[in-house]
Amino acid sequence: MARISPVTGHYVTVEVDGLEYKVFYLENGTGQPLICQHTAGCHNHQWRDLLEDEEITANYRVIAYDLPRHGKSDPPENTAWWTEEYKLTADHYANFILALCDALELENPIFMGSSFGGNIALQLAYRRPDRFAAVIPVEGADYSPGFYLDWWQHPHANAAQVCASGTWDLMAPQSPDADRWKTWFYYTQGSEAFKGDLHFYSVDHDLRGKLGDIDTDQCAVVMLTGEYDYLTTPEDGARTASQIRNADFIEMKEIGHFPMSENYPVFAGYLKQALEAIKTKKGASVSS
Amino acid sequence: MTATTETTSTQQWAEAFRTANDQDPEIQAHGKYFTCSYLLDMDDHTVVVRMNAGRVAEISIDPGPLGAPYQFAIRASAATWREFGVEMPAPMFHGIWSASFQRDMRLEGDVLVLMQNLRCITRQIELLRTVGVPV
Repeated sequence: MARISPVTGHYVTVEVDGLEYKVFYLENGTGQPLICQHTAGCHNHQWRDLLEDEEITANYRVIAYDLPRHGKSDPPENTAWWTEEYKLTADHYANFILALCDALELENPIFMGSSFGGNIALQLAYRRPDRFAAVIPVEGADYSPGFYLDWWQHPHANAAQVCASGTWDLMAPQSPDADRWKTWFYYTQGSEAFKGDLHFYSVDHDLRGKLGDIDTDQCAVVMLTGEYDYLTTPEDGARTASQIRNADFIEMKEIGHFPMSENYPVFAGYLKQALEAIKTKKGASVSS
Repeated sequence: MTATTETTSTQQWAEAFRTANDQDPEIQAHGKYFTCSYLLDMDDHTVVVRMNAGRVAEISIDPGPLGAPYQFAIRASAATWREFGVEMPAPMFHGIWSASFQRDMRLEGDVLVLMQNLRCITRQIELLRTVGVPV
């Protein structure tokens, strides 16, 4: 008997900021949408184990998409995109996610992303708390400079190996070899998009001084950060959460910057804590 | 420790490092073009590793000022290197990027050569978790 996964893939056309994208997404489960953003230079397969986690998909419709220019989502269909350097901005990134959620007609979604996905989760909570029940910024911070580096595309080096091995230390040594190497492998595939993604992560994203404006009555915030993350450290996550009223911060032990991909069983325990915290917060918000 | 026994132990470390590298399946699978020389500055000792096609050609312990040329250097305090040389390193001592971003490690010299060999160098540094460090 063939082992066929319940995860299904679809394309949806998304129009945003004058651009047309054919966006590929994977989904499984029923219930409240839990929409998931991969890390910079990567793709939705990082969420492979979450998509097949029966405990979570029994109660949540898990949707993991490929950001345009990543995985099976091409660059824009209606422009000569190759004539401009790719530099992701906070405005376009946020507008895209909102347009995707509208195109999929998602009601009351929870948004979760890691790394530059964690940072955009914070941006979404800041910009459109009315559109999301909650956000789970994973490995996110108010500001994360220092990773917009020319090395990711240096023509004299092997960009695939530099991107993959440059991110290797972001994982914890306790994580299983097979999963760390899968994560490394994904990073060999996205080197051209990686640097442009990091323009958002390390340059355009800056919520310093603005975190107090996030309306957590509308959009709950639960932050998760791994102790082996050298980019957005637990100190960065804790500092960020402390400035958001009623936000939670959970430090994840023995895991790093790609928790869903490098060691899902460990991550799953923390994610379930986060989802429970959101339920509690939203229950309190409704009754108050 | 006397100077003689210290010399012996650093030489033993060099041999252990050479053996670990030359028998490592990952480096041997991917190191066909891993040819370069680099300095490990550990404060108490300096080590120049010269690689040729994925195998250790020479390890020079505490070379003189002109004794062993190298292309790039990885420098940190002895205390930081000792943190690398344990089986399960603590956060931020688990790689050259983490220790450079968050601790006292510095990557110097022709960093392009480091980037060209990053995959194998990353694995070589992890070998310190099994062979330890000479400081």
